[in-house]
Amino acid sequence: MNTLHLYLRSMGILMKSRLQYPASFLMQTLAQLIMEGGELLAVILLIQRFEGVRQWVAGDLYFFFGIMSVTFYLTECFGRGLTGTFPSMVRSGHLDTLLLRPRGVLTQVLCSDMDPRRIACIAVGTTALVMGSHMSHVVWTLPRVLLLMEAILFGCMLILGLFLIEAVFCIHSIKSVELVNAITYGGRSACEYPVNIYPRTLQILFTCLAPFALVLQVPASHILGKPLFGWPEWTAFVTPLSGAAVFSLMYLLFRQAVGHYRSSGS
Amino acid sequence: MKRNSLTSPDKGNPSGRHALRQHISMYLSIFRLRGNMELQYRGAMVGGIVCQTFFGLILIALYRALYDTRPQTLPLQNVVTYVWLQQAFFRMLLATDGDLSDKILTGGIAYDLCRPADLYSLYFVRIMAQKLTGSLMRGIPMMLIAFLLPKGWGAAPPASLPHLFCALFALFLGLVCVCALENITMGFTMLTLDPRGLQGMMHLLMMIFAGNILPLTLFPDSWQKIITCLPFAQMLDAPIRFYTGDYALADAGRILPLQALWAVLLIFSGRFLWKHNQKRLVLQGG
Repeated sequence: MNTLHLYLRSMGILMKSRLQYPASFLMQTLAQLIMEGGELLAVILLIQRFEGVRQWVAGDLYFFFGIMSVTFYLTECFGRGLTGTFPSMVRSGHLDTLLLRPRGVLTQVLCSDMDPRRIACIAVGTTALVMGSHMSHVVWTLPRVLLLMEAILFGCMLILGLFLIEAVFCIHSIKSVELVNAITYGGRSACEYPVNIYPRTLQILFTCLAPFALVLQVPASHILGKPLFGWPEWTAFVTPLSGAAVFSLMYLLFRQAVGHYRSSGS
Repeated sequence: MKRNSLTSPDKGNPSGRHALRQHISMYLSIFRLRGNMELQYRGAMVGGIVCQTFFGLILIALYRALYDTRPQTLPLQNVVTYVWLQQAFFRMLLATDGDLSDKILTGGIAYDLCRPADLYSLYFVRIMAQKLTGSLMRGIPMMLIAFLLPKGWGAAPPASLPHLFCALFALFLGLVCVCALENITMGFTMLTLDPRGLQGMMHLLMMIFAGNILPLTLFPDSWQKIITCLPFAQMLDAPIRFYTGDYALADAGRILPLQALWAVLLIFSGRFLWKHNQKRLVLQGG
């Protein structure tokens, strides 16, 4: 509880500090809006031309896009310490100071930064979600709302877990590793669309290794009433847990890596 | 000698031809130095290639699935080749010279002002070297990979030899456009002192309207007339369309002058901006 309190308090402080330069903040938020708007525009244009893909119609595709971008940018907004600043912390040796304090390293990393500009991206994602659920005539019942929230929550854990891999590589090699971006940002780009449209190898990659399909898409497809792999209803509530599994596994690896950490600062 | 020509004050040299030759050799050596620097980052290069290849494969898988559901008049192979060329020359669009904006922000630009060279051309050459070297050293290995991939996934050879020549010439004009635009953004950095806002905005527009996020050929047909005239389409879209044969050779008479026109316009406005900047220059830092 103490940890949570600490985290919320630092988020509050960081938010305040970001808003000290309102003009710059607005400009950058606007840029984010255009960026994510551009991604959505690409989906809209593709749907205009192709109308749909496999069993998925326009509304379903917007819904998948929306759930992915809300989840990804929520993580980037509140987990920026890990997703954004961690490599420079290792390079500059700033991580040393975190090791001295009587709190967990990951807690402190997460407390160290936030990125409120991402609100613009989250807004675009939410728009796509609402648009999609409206076009696909989703009837919102309580279990479905809970399912959506569960998917997003565990989705955030999954993405944090994947960024932890990058952090582990970073501790061992001091450099930020572009290669790992393929799995995080590549996963985001690929899983904006339901995975069953892809060839088998990619499906396996995004179901078993980086389980975006299990965490986000199985629940999403149940909300839309078109099960992704044809699995029964109750599985949709279970599969998102794999996000927590990935996170825990990566957290263990991360702790081990921190044990091997050698400072590069002076 | 290379180094000397960078520093020797030859402004007052009376013989015009000699001065010209010296100027050219100066810009060439800046080009070479800057290009060499870009070549140093080979680790980043390998990482970049793997990353871009993966992204390319994902995009192609998506377009294949879409075409499976609803075939279009535009051949799928053209879209696939388009995606590969976009990924291969990604670095041409999106590489910013961080050193250069730092120079402006910290006052290092004062040193460049002392050089016996025109500031605009100096930076133009710098930017061009970075973009050309960066995109060739990533683009060539990536295209080799793309050619080796199985049919339907890999890139196709150019439509014909004349098409290839047209594409190369268009690519050169496109490169000039990119560098001129980048130089304009740099010029604005001197005014606003915050490179992020405008640079970010420019990059986003480029990603969308140069065909990186979605091939311009897949944009609605009714938009084509307008988007192909924008400066962003001149950068990579025009050369790629020549390569795949989406532009017939007869179109060269229309497209190449359009590209050249944009290049001239962008260079002209960039020069104007820099001239204005130099007149009322405030050096940052101390």
